[in-house]
Amino acid sequence: MSVNAWIVVAEQPAIGNLITVARNLGGPAGQVAAVVAGPRPVAEVVAASGVDRVVWCGAPEGSPAEASAQAVAEVVAADPPRVVLSGRNPADRVLLGAAAARLRAAVLTGARSVALDADKTTVLNAVYGDISEETVEISGPVALLLDGGSVPAASGDSVPIEEISSTPYGLTVLETNMSDFEQVDLNAARRVIGVGRGLKAREDLELIDTLAGAVQAEIACSRPVAEGLNWMGKDRYIGSSGARISPQLYLAVGISGQLQHMVGVVGAETIVAINSDPNAAVFTQADYGLVGDLYDLVPAITSALK
Amino acid sequence: MKIVVAYKWTSDPEEATVGADGTVDWSRARPGISTYDPVAIELARGLAEAAGAELIGVTAGAKGVGSPLACKAALARGLNRVVIIEDDSLKGAGQAELAAVVAGAVRHIGDVDLVVTGDSSVDVAAKMVPTVLAGELGWPAVAEVTDVTGQAGALRVTRAIPGGTQVLEISGPAVLATSADATVPRVPGMKDLLAAGKKPVDHADLAALDVPAQSAVMTVTGTSRPARKQRKNQILDTTDPAAAAAELVKALREVGAL
Repeated sequence: MSVNAWIVVAEQPAIGNLITVARNLGGPAGQVAAVVAGPRPVAEVVAASGVDRVVWCGAPEGSPAEASAQAVAEVVAADPPRVVLSGRNPADRVLLGAAAARLRAAVLTGARSVALDADKTTVLNAVYGDISEETVEISGPVALLLDGGSVPAASGDSVPIEEISSTPYGLTVLETNMSDFEQVDLNAARRVIGVGRGLKAREDLELIDTLAGAVQAEIACSRPVAEGLNWMGKDRYIGSSGARISPQLYLAVGISGQLQHMVGVVGAETIVAINSDPNAAVFTQADYGLVGDLYDLVPAITSALK
Repeated sequence: MKIVVAYKWTSDPEEATVGADGTVDWSRARPGISTYDPVAIELARGLAEAAGAELIGVTAGAKGVGSPLACKAALARGLNRVVIIEDDSLKGAGQAELAAVVAGAVRHIGDVDLVVTGDSSVDVAAKMVPTVLAGELGWPAVAEVTDVTGQAGALRVTRAIPGGTQVLEISGPAVLATSADATVPRVPGMKDLLAAGKKPVDHADLAALDVPAQSAVMTVTGTSRPARKQRKNQILDTTDPAAAAAELVKALREVGAL
């Protein structure tokens, strides 16, 4: 059977959503195959995830997944698919780009739905920071960058791992330094507090921590708080190029409500905004708005919960 | 050593307006160098100065991307010259097409050792042009780059990875996408702007570039405004913070958010 979808995977086997999308493409029957360029254990997780085929590009010790980008592209091109998918991690993007170039495929990064039929692929694609959606018809292969989702549960039967060897690009890891920031999976959180530049000092995060404890929420932030101020790890920022979350409750504290941030929380069930500026854009996008000093309001909410 | 910085001249969707049918009106948005591209230019400039390399800007797009204003804005940031692919057939071009055209420009320049790009464009934010470009050139790509030192053939690249950083050595040509906070670009002064007016601008003809055709043909058949959840937009009275907090907690419990 031919391959309908190739999933390309670098170092993180968080591809649950990609498998779901690949399985629900419709159209002519075809395999869902995966090619992994990361460490062997990643290939093992993928092999047990319910895909029909797994190819592993084993690379020498010290080579990052990106070194195998060309090998991944060759694997994909040998059984050309209708669709090639990856998650949004930097290394995944590199593998997807190599495969897209090799297939001379169209590239879309905001797919809301994908449907195959015999001669074309139709994608509903969010564009320009999700301010609009385009219906796009593509004849020929399509590369889709999507939210990877969670690590798929083992399906019971693993498919055998086909191992190929290749000459990788000359990339070598000299050193890896893990940061002191605790890593977080914001997508798994039911409640999230987002902190913006309304917070005056890093020490004041303690105030937010206390509220987060009372609400049982994870703490996230707007882009400048993670990049620039460096108060949190980059995996905590929400927005068009960061995390996109759909929690039960999103509490925006000191966030102005710029488009690039708010597209990351449009899926939230309920949005609360606290901001000192009554004209802040965040209030038009919130269910409940509190205009005032966050230094008064945050402790007040914490006490009200006790 | 030749270093290319691929940058985009475009507008911020924050300044665009969206019609009821999802059509995007850019007429009131002011174009400029895409938000994160000055970071790429600054990082590449530091490397070029240290390595004694030539620094060449490349951009591709519809009419306007090669206007004197646009070229000056890019050149004032420290590029030695720019190569512009300005062609109305690139209006609304997809990521793959743009990457293929930039690859054509890199081949046109010749003997390029390194391409540096920004993190993502302010309008599309796809983060895919640098990685497809690398595929087109047959080079490796590394994203989220925060620092580069060294010379062609032995580059030392620091990049952010989930939960930390990593230092890589690259032995050949490569495409590097910088992280948005890799460095703080300096603001060009009057002297830089005056000097920019005298730097070479090469308008390359798209038809003359070596750009293989895409095998995929994309057609936009419709636009729509994304369905958004209706928000309550209820502003609570915060004269008494404690009362406002109590009211909020009550409301959140009622809707099941707490």
